Amino acid sequence: MKKTTMTAAVLIAGIAATAYAHGGATGIVKERMDAMAAMGKAVKTVAPMMRGETTYDAETVRDAARLFQQHAGESMTKLFPEGTGGVPSEAKDEVWTDWDRFAALASQLEEYSEGLERAADNGLGSMGGNISAGGASMMGGGTTMMGSNAMMDAAALAKMPSDAAFAMTTQVCSVCHERFRAEKD
Amino acid sequence: MRQFLTLVGGVAVLSAAGLGVVIAWPVGSPVTPIATEGNIDRGAYLARASGCIACHTNFEAGGAPLAGGAPLETPFGTFYTPNLTTDPEHGMGEWTTEQFAKAVRQGISPDGTPYYPSFPYTFYADFSDQDIADLWAAFQTVPPVDEPAPENDVGFPFDQRWGLKLWRAAFFHDPNTEPDERRNPAWNRGKALVNGAAHCAACHTSRNFAGGRELSARFAGNDQLPGGSKAPAIRPDDLAKNDWTVSNLAYALQTGLTPSGDAFGGSMAEVVREGTRFLTPVDREAMALFLLNKDSVETADAASN
Repeated sequence: MKKTTMTAAVLIAGIAATAYAHGGATGIVKERMDAMAAMGKAVKTVAPMMRGETTYDAETVRDAARLFQQHAGESMTKLFPEGTGGVPSEAKDEVWTDWDRFAALASQLEEYSEGLERAADNGLGSMGGNISAGGASMMGGGTTMMGSNAMMDAAALAKMPSDAAFAMTTQVCSVCHERFRAEKD
Repeated sequence: MRQFLTLVGGVAVLSAAGLGVVIAWPVGSPVTPIATEGNIDRGAYLARASGCIACHTNFEAGGAPLAGGAPLETPFGTFYTPNLTTDPEHGMGEWTTEQFAKAVRQGISPDGTPYYPSFPYTFYADFSDQDIADLWAAFQTVPPVDEPAPENDVGFPFDQRWGLKLWRAAFFHDPNTEPDERRNPAWNRGKALVNGAAHCAACHTSRNFAGGRELSARFAGNDQLPGGSKAPAIRPDDLAKNDWTVSNLAYALQTGLTPSGDAFGGSMAEVVREGTRFLTPVDREAMALFLLNKDSVETADAASN
């Protein structure tokens, strides 16, 4: 029951947020904006738990992770057919000129959110700084420090504390936004 | 008519003389020898905080760390960050610690040429000798990359580097990193990071016709960032109005997630991914305290976000 309520709350809030944020969009552009807004809403619910500001609830984290999966991978890329850029869309042309990279990030989000779903029961770790590696790898060398090229699999994320897995998962959002989303303000 | 010509001629002669003076004008000050032993870990940490890796690596093209080449598109032309690896020809392999200190703190290259302010050296002006020694030790660990960064693509008059001497005279503002004794150590640590190494104002403060920061609009945002990105206003009131708290701002510097549930895009995504994510929780919180101008972390009301 709780799960259903939370999912419903997330969905309703997502729709409400979309109503004012993405005025003017219709059709498939609106559809993908709604999907992004729904994920954003889930992030907004889960992030304070990861910071210890609200009570940690593994089921809510799993709900969010499942929601990401629903909107990731091909479910995401199929909402970006060629020729659907331009106002009011915020998608940059790079989505289509660098399609493979875009699609790879969409599938990375799917993989990572599967890992997050499985990591939900691990609870919070102490996400300290990532400074233990230090030295040379800190200067960009080495393969640690969650290097942007090092793709992990869901099984690896599943072993992490859920706040770390959540950070890994949502970092994919940021990488994708940096490259493929125009910044409004 | 003759008088007019004399006047024009006089102005021309004076201008030429003035230009000559500017070109010959020595800028910067001598660096006293830096004998301190550097610490690699501390240097790498400071390099992360300062954005060295973020800007001097061409991630887009899969470039090697710190090999330079990432383009910075500005109204003045396109700048390419230099190669900072240990390569003796194209990097800093032949530099001395003192030359490095002059480059970082004063913005002057070993051959005496001033750097463009696309390199935010003005924010690093207060780095101590120990900071410089630490950074220099860390840079010695970077494998050499035997490739030059592309030449800057800057048109006239901005390709005239003597003009940068005038720029320095007008816009080399003190970074204001000194502690304020009325505030606690955490706030002051945040002040040193935000105003110094992390150089937040380089993007979050708008720039004038000459690329100098508009000090009266400090942290009021900038919608003309290189590459078409936009930086929002980050004054305490602006942040509070947009639901930022010390806790969620520190978290954003770690994860890129905003209080509304969005994930940073644009340049800020890179700042977090290659910079602030590597800082300690204590330092990220200090930055948030200073930016929100608070002495301590909010507790009870933070949960409402």
